[in-house]
Amino acid sequence: METYTDPAESLLMVLREKLGLYGTKAGCGKGECGVCTVLLDDRAVNSCLVPVGKVQGRKVETIENLSRGGKVHPIQEKFVEKGAVQCGFCTPGMVMSAYALLKENPRPNPDQVRVAISGNLCRCSGYKQIEEAIMLAADKLKD
Amino acid sequence: MSYLIASSLEEALTSLRDGSGKARAVAGATDLYLQEMPYGLVDLSFLKETTVIEEKEGLMSLGAAVTHALAASSPLVLSRARALAEGCAAIGSPQIRNIGTIGGNVINAAPAADAAVALVGLGAKAELVDINRETRTEAVENLYWTHNRSLVDSSKEIMVRFLIKPCLAGEGSAFTRFAARRALALPMVNAAARVKLEKGFVKEVRLVAAPARPAPTRLLKTEELVIGRPVNGETISMVEKAVAEEIEVRGSLLRCSARYRQHLVGVLVASALKTAATRAGTSGKAGD
Repeated sequence: METYTDPAESLLMVLREKLGLYGTKAGCGKGECGVCTVLLDDRAVNSCLVPVGKVQGRKVETIENLSRGGKVHPIQEKFVEKGAVQCGFCTPGMVMSAYALLKENPRPNPDQVRVAISGNLCRCSGYKQIEEAIMLAADKLKD
Repeated sequence: MSYLIASSLEEALTSLRDGSGKARAVAGATDLYLQEMPYGLVDLSFLKETTVIEEKEGLMSLGAAVTHALAASSPLVLSRARALAEGCAAIGSPQIRNIGTIGGNVINAAPAADAAVALVGLGAKAELVDINRETRTEAVENLYWTHNRSLVDSSKEIMVRFLIKPCLAGEGSAFTRFAARRALALPMVNAAARVKLEKGFVKEVRLVAAPARPAPTRLLKTEELVIGRPVNGETISMVEKAVAEEIEVRGSLLRCSARYRQHLVGVLVASALKTAATRAGTSGKAGD
């Protein structure tokens, strides 16, 4: 994908305002809430803190990339199944952190899941269901 | 605004010189939006010199643009400079650790930056080169000007790498911190220790704590008291008291009272020393 913009713009703003990819949410803008999480070369980052000049020629994956052919990704499927979504604002960031974890470590233990989502805040207090959903998604993905 | 992803150190230095003080070097750039945006940025994230992790001729070399995630999981750092792996693993969140760098943690000059405290605890030195191609090597603790202000001017100078004496047989290091949450929380206190034991007695030691002064603070008086002693219960109790007497900390409305912090600082330094000594005692040829 190509776009022309000020390299000082954050990756988050370019994704949302220039490319129309609104799945990535804008929250604190300081790297504290994790709702803007995307993958940069397969690793989770806060897109609000990444100047877009830094991503020239690199691979960026957003939540829009997860569903294929009208089917949601197993992580998203398990979030729904476990009721791990309440207001939904943290969900894209949570899913992307889980996606980054399972790419690197397809068989995580619950502690590793907790560390992986430690940079994502959920103010509806849904962490338990989120952890369970990620563990179930890992099970499904390894089959 | 210009953004250059430097392909060589030479190109980065030339760009900084051409920027006449208006361009600055960055790596992770995670603190950029919290500060005034410069006219030009020179990104050092992909240079061989700034991303190396190696041990050569008895010295570990860690590029200043090594990310916290990489340092925390590097087998070499885990075996030879464990305190740094622990300090890096404690920073921010996975998202921050995946992009933030150890050099940035020092140059950002926050008084209780976890990687910086670990680096000072290990006795790391930083190698820098300026736009006139002059190089200097400085102890990390000597790079602080005042609170949150570094002596490294990123418009004129590049931090290339850290040099660390690896922990070998009989040596160990450790880092510890205490914070309200396990992620995304600045520490109330953090501490690091490095110790060399000989026949069970302390031969060399470095003890560091923060936040107290602009730079991570070495506890020189307490270090002197520990030399020649075994690291047993009596020494640990002595260290807890000596540290609290040697260092003066301030309270913070957001984090904790001065009284609590004064208590914590002794406890955490003693705890880091105890862990470092246990690692030194059990280390074979593989270091700590």
